[in-house]
Amino acid sequence: MPFVARATETGARVEASTANEVIASYRRQQELIDTDLEWVFAEHPAVTSVPASDSIDAVIRELDDYFENGVPLGVLAAAMSKQGWTVGDTLSEVYELRMSGSIWEPRADHIRPV
Amino acid sequence: MAVSPDITDENNALPAKYFTDPGVHELEKEKIFGQYWVYAGHANAITEAGAYFTRTIGDKQVIIVRDHDDEIRAFFNVCAHRGSKMVEETPMTNPGNMGRIRCPYHMWSYDLDGDLESTPKSFKEAGLNPELDDDDVCGLDASENGLNEVQTDRIGPFVFLNFADDPMPLAEQAGTLKTELEDMPLEEYEHAARYVSEVDCNWKTFAGNYSECDHCHANHQDWITDIELDESNLEVNDYHWILHYTHDEDVDDELRIHQEKEAKFYYFWPNFTVNMYGTADGYGTYIIDPIDEGRFQLIADYYFSDAEMTDAEQEFVQTSRQLQEEDFELVERQYEGLQSGALAQAQLGPNEHTVHKLHRLAQEAYEA
Repeated sequence: MPFVARATETGARVEASTANEVIASYRRQQELIDTDLEWVFAEHPAVTSVPASDSIDAVIRELDDYFENGVPLGVLAAAMSKQGWTVGDTLSEVYELRMSGSIWEPRADHIRPV
Repeated sequence: MAVSPDITDENNALPAKYFTDPGVHELEKEKIFGQYWVYAGHANAITEAGAYFTRTIGDKQVIIVRDHDDEIRAFFNVCAHRGSKMVEETPMTNPGNMGRIRCPYHMWSYDLDGDLESTPKSFKEAGLNPELDDDDVCGLDASENGLNEVQTDRIGPFVFLNFADDPMPLAEQAGTLKTELEDMPLEEYEHAARYVSEVDCNWKTFAGNYSECDHCHANHQDWITDIELDESNLEVNDYHWILHYTHDEDVDDELRIHQEKEAKFYYFWPNFTVNMYGTADGYGTYIIDPIDEGRFQLIADYYFSDAEMTDAEQEFVQTSRQLQEEDFELVERQYEGLQSGALAQAQLGPNEHTVHKLHRLAQEAYEA
């Protein structure tokens, strides 16, 4: 599987064929256990190419060049993991950006900078 | 290969399409998880008034809360005003606490018994509506505008939900399981660990694997060394079955909750198990929750005398996890085969009568 993450509390592995499947798994687990997910690896050219940065806005803009219909949240989360961010860290920051109007969601779980 | 839709013959498994068809997954939400008593969580997680957690079963999300009369109640997580989801997902392992249930959309508030407690001024006055005087605004009756309650009942500390309008009593569905479990001091044990695993197979595939041990010699070699399978037996009842696994050597009484010198695994239809291990002063539970027709979540909880596990208990949990991982490998391989379409209907052996019971209950539910 090209996308693998791990529960921070229990170490349980999540293996997925798409990055957004990891996001879906994170959300399902949120109701069941108080844990976050950290990336083990993500095999995607955009994740590999985009430079590591603590600025999530900058990373979204870089990734936006790779996707016509929005950056999958999972790919963004995998890219931010280069800075040690968990899936929860990224989703929390994405929520803040969305609420501030600086990103939009052309389709579910895919975002673009405004 | 021919498929026999009649599975009263003990050799006939439920046809493979019932494991792989997305339509069956949708059907099961109504016919199984919408009709039978389904495990929600452990009462010890919410001991104070206002303590709550949420649980999603199929498409329905429920708030399970302890009210001011010390009763555990359940409500759809849906506001009676315009249907908004009210509280965020809250796991049993990290419960929330609230004085009242409030919807963040228009700030309707409900008592812990579900009655409407208050609405903002904008629902009592018609300031924005030139067609209506404030005096003509009809008030909202507290009980008639309350939350939609879901039936709950308990077996000891285990809280169950039922979404049917007129369900059979939990005591009837549980049968002797209820008295047997309630004879043990299950509520004296604390939640110590939860592991959630997502597995790539239908939930019934794993349920079937849990229910038999013909695969144990070849696949659980570490565990099986302490078990006398020849002296074990698998007991089938109306809606539950019990796997009695006899230990080859006597186990210290202090390492068991139950009387019998055996491991005792209870499967309670449709998707809950209680695992009395026989080698640990504690117990475990599994919830086998479908995600879709090809995936499920195994929610494994462990309870010991103290929430902080001893080294021996941690080692025990690791052994249990090893069994799970071994089983995940098996059921994913089985499901891969079933998905290929090469086998339209599996055959069951004489010691897979528990699996047959599982399949019969599924078929009865589909046809009800």
